[in-house]
Amino acid sequence: MTLVLDQRRPASRALALARKVNVAVIVFLVLYLAIGLLQPTYFEPAGLMNFLRRAAPLAILSAGQLFVLASGGFDLSVGSLITLTVIGGSMLTANDPSRTWWAIAALYGVGLAVGLINGAVVAFLKTPSIIATLGTLLSVNGAAMMWSGGAPRGYLPDNFRMFGRLVLHDVPIVKIFPIAIAVLAVCGALAYWGFHGAVFGRRILAVGDNPRAAELSGVRVRSVRIGVFVISALAAVTAGIMLGGFGGVSVDVGLGLELQSIAACVVGGVQLMGGRGSVTGAIAGALTLFALFTLLTLLGLPQPLKETAQGLILIAAVALGAWRRRRAV
Amino acid sequence: MAPATLALEMIEISKSFPGVRALDGVSFDCARGEVHALCGENGAGKSTLIKILGGVYRPDAGRMRLDGREVAFSHPVAARRAGVSIIHQELSLLPERSVAENIYLGVEPTRFGALDRAKMRNGAAGLLRRLGSTIAPDIRAGDLSIAQQQIVEIAKALAVEARILVMDEPTAALDDVDASRLLELVRRLSGEGVSIIYVSHRMPEIQAVSHRVTVLKDGRSALTAAIGDAPVGRLVRAMVGRDLADFYPARAAAPAGPAVLNIRDASNSRLRGVNLALCAGEILGVAGLEGSGKRSLAQAIFGDEPFESGAIEILGERRAPPSPRAAIELGIGCLSDDRKREGLLLQQSVRDNAMLTQRAFANPLRPPNASPMSLDETDALLRKLDVRAASFDQEIRLLSGGNQQKAIIARWLARAPEILIFCEPTRGVDVATKAAIYKIMRDLAASGRAILMISSDLPEVIGVSDRILVMREGAIAGELPGGASEEDVMAIAVGHAAETPALVS
Amino acid sequence: MSATHLQSSPFTVRRGSLAPVLLLAGSVVLYVGAALWTGETKMLDAEGVVGLLQRMVALGVVALGQTFVILAGSIDLSVANMISVAAVLASYIMQGRPDMVPPAVAAVLAISALVGLVNGALIARLQVNSLIATLGVGLILQGLLSASFTNFAGSVPPEFQLVAYSAFGGVPYSVAGLFALAALCAWLLRATRFGAHLYAVGGNAEGARLAGIRTDLILIGAHVICAVSAGLTGLYLASRLRSGAPWVGRDGVYDLESIAVVVIGGTLLAGGRGGVAGTLAGVLLFATLDAVFNMLGVSAYPQLVLRGAIVVLAVAAYTFRAKGHVA
Repeated sequence: MTLVLDQRRPASRALALARKVNVAVIVFLVLYLAIGLLQPTYFEPAGLMNFLRRAAPLAILSAGQLFVLASGGFDLSVGSLITLTVIGGSMLTANDPSRTWWAIAALYGVGLAVGLINGAVVAFLKTPSIIATLGTLLSVNGAAMMWSGGAPRGYLPDNFRMFGRLVLHDVPIVKIFPIAIAVLAVCGALAYWGFHGAVFGRRILAVGDNPRAAELSGVRVRSVRIGVFVISALAAVTAGIMLGGFGGVSVDVGLGLELQSIAACVVGGVQLMGGRGSVTGAIAGALTLFALFTLLTLLGLPQPLKETAQGLILIAAVALGAWRRRRAV
Repeated sequence: MAPATLALEMIEISKSFPGVRALDGVSFDCARGEVHALCGENGAGKSTLIKILGGVYRPDAGRMRLDGREVAFSHPVAARRAGVSIIHQELSLLPERSVAENIYLGVEPTRFGALDRAKMRNGAAGLLRRLGSTIAPDIRAGDLSIAQQQIVEIAKALAVEARILVMDEPTAALDDVDASRLLELVRRLSGEGVSIIYVSHRMPEIQAVSHRVTVLKDGRSALTAAIGDAPVGRLVRAMVGRDLADFYPARAAAPAGPAVLNIRDASNSRLRGVNLALCAGEILGVAGLEGSGKRSLAQAIFGDEPFESGAIEILGERRAPPSPRAAIELGIGCLSDDRKREGLLLQQSVRDNAMLTQRAFANPLRPPNASPMSLDETDALLRKLDVRAASFDQEIRLLSGGNQQKAIIARWLARAPEILIFCEPTRGVDVATKAAIYKIMRDLAASGRAILMISSDLPEVIGVSDRILVMREGAIAGELPGGASEEDVMAIAVGHAAETPALVS
Repeated sequence: MSATHLQSSPFTVRRGSLAPVLLLAGSVVLYVGAALWTGETKMLDAEGVVGLLQRMVALGVVALGQTFVILAGSIDLSVANMISVAAVLASYIMQGRPDMVPPAVAAVLAISALVGLVNGALIARLQVNSLIATLGVGLILQGLLSASFTNFAGSVPPEFQLVAYSAFGGVPYSVAGLFALAALCAWLLRATRFGAHLYAVGGNAEGARLAGIRTDLILIGAHVICAVSAGLTGLYLASRLRSGAPWVGRDGVYDLESIAVVVIGGTLLAGGRGGVAGTLAGVLLFATLDAVFNMLGVSAYPQLVLRGAIVVLAVAAYTFRAKGHVA
């Protein structure tokens, strides 16, 4: 009898899995189609490339957030870390292009430190990550303000801005090719390898699913926790470096991005409280979210309604997931 | 029995879930004051029947009568109001609230809109007295032992004047002394006219306490008989369709090998002066009451709650592993007694569950399905252990308890540990899988592994072990040969016999 | 049955029950110490202490509501946005006219109750994770608010400013109101069936359901209480600032701080244990820290850095000894 039960489930589950991955992708395609209909330039290769360029930071951030979410935690500090990266980049380079490279190295050092602190507080002090990283959010924001004296302005040196802004022209087929897309491709591939192609990813899922069982089976739960926060923080620094190329230096570059990255993952089928998720889903979710924002802008809705739309999509995605799970039982 | 006296009648109940017919025309009844045992293998339909009675599921077909009146429950609350109380295997007490608050949960007496705490306290004390217990109503429920919590659960059922009480494996987590006290209570309640449906895997209990017994098999009623007409052999045959004779595998023919684990005078906060030697090729059983320290012994050896003093020698190394990871590195494996909390990754695949320990020690940057344990090797091991799943990619939560247990055994075998600790290896596992797990353990011992089995199931300890250690109050109180009588084990466990010092080789 | 289990419990003081006393003592030592150290002894007279208590009001009111939600095993991340909505709505409706005070207050209470109802229904009925549900609702509120208002909107009449600026016999109305509200909350939790069921839902939701408790209604009730408390904080802030702006809630970090003070006060983040006294003590600690920072002359940005660290360390003081895993 158990066998009968077992035979039916996987088929429907595989179907559900296929559906789940496809939802974010399909929704993205539909939204993009709508965008293109409103603004035909988006259907041209250059339009698509530009869209991907602007969506790349959020996609990278979401891929990093995925690691933390899959382990059962949250990283709310990434938005403030992005702000710190941009402000820090401006302070460290002080408009001198020759300082860019060591400034970037230093910023990754800062990211590493923030990730280690987040991870250590959660792993050793056992503070729930939602509180721990909210605390980090406050502190890192405060640190960024202190560093800049409260009102930073101006732009980063051009070679620093390259990662977000530089576009190669006269590329065959796509015509233009932004460096940001290459960065996204590299980060996406790295994330895919780390999450799906290496033992480490399975350890993350094990810890997210049942940390006690993982520990009793020999998994170093603390190392895994610290590792995922470091990955997320490094992804945030990368996203910050790219966003620094998009526009000027200000105190609100990273504002709200922590929630956007979580929303993107949720839309992409990543399960909060851990145990399930995919890099494809996280990136597709980020593209979906970004397409939605673009569409709202094209429709002429006021900027703040972006937040409202994001709230709705977050709730809808999670409610849909919960409804499916209930129906599956 | 005349129909008029029947407190409960369930007639021709059927229930299907997608792809499976869980109940197929099952009839079940219970007279006022009767103890009616319900048994069957996992998946036989017991829990579905109980859930229908408790209003969790609605039957596809069939009728239910309480005291001759037709009823249909749409919600657990409706069943509770009608006098049906279910004591679930997983206790539902609130650890942070007082005993009285727990007993009156949902039916709190009020006075002028505020809780009437005095009434709650007195009422709770009265109910507990009626159950022969002296638990104080103001204690936090979390501070009670499992046996005491069980009694509070019963008091909770009495607080709503339950006339039909369903007890789902109430003694599963109890040692024999507490279990026999509980059985006494069951008799007392039945004497007061409460009808009791007693679900259990334990044959001696069923024989001791019930008036009638019903066996379910594959969603059908296989047997309903007065207990006098249903000796254990007949019940087991009805449940599994074969005899009990080949239940426990034959003991080791060869003498045990050299000692691989030597513990001398080791202690920690829960254990004192433990001496034991475990030899290659033997199954060493550890018995003891709840709280005797047998679980702590496993945790100490496995490095979960390590020994703090004493001389420990494991596989030639003179050190006590400080963590489970260190213990695994030394060559120890440990099957936890709490499968759901400490064993399973519920949302991961059967394969991922089986590969967990290997992956914990592999290079984290290597592909997940490569050496040291490849996909094929894992599948072969799972098949060898007869883990039944439609696919090993299936999430493990969809498997039966027995198959889950075997998949976790595979997790440990993948690392080929020299010492294996099995804690309550057959808890929540059906009879057929029980026999399979015993055979796996015996085969492992025959291949030269040393096995330490911690168990609260006395027939199991006696039937499977080559030697038996009995623990009491954090120390090893005595040693008995395999096949000793239950009385001997219990005598040492409760401290009635002269202490026999543990033999150390 | 066995006597051993009966002995232990009356004599073991649980950490949670001790928290309010420790926090109170710590706050007093910190406050007095800082005042003496900096020589600002005028902070120690009646006026100074009242000033300290007044710092508690805004955070205190919303934290009382958050206590209910957390006890029920849920969380509300939309309170900061709700506070902004309430403040703006109140001052926008009032437009400086005393006769518009009652309708404004009624509108704020109605809308906040509605928001709580939506939060609760999303969590209890649609089974959306509470973090996400309230985060989402918060975003929706903030988006709508920021799209409609970009600056201070309207103003409150002087009569309504009395809420924040007037006192009776040296005790400001707002402080008296906070403690009256706290007493009401304590009564609800300690002495009513709703309170008992709230602890049950937070402690073991499945067990509570099986005991016949309508867990969904309890959860919705807790969220309504929390949202209304956020609405009250918004009204208070409108009264204090004389007008409402769409950033007052976020600037006050009321979401994080209300959760932090509840947890610091000994309420389990997972629900089922804790109470009002601890929350008030936690709020007092935060108000004390504010006052101490000011006495010591710590400027705004370093204060922000320290606050983040203090929130984490204060929560960690409870959690670091916990066995088992936290994510």
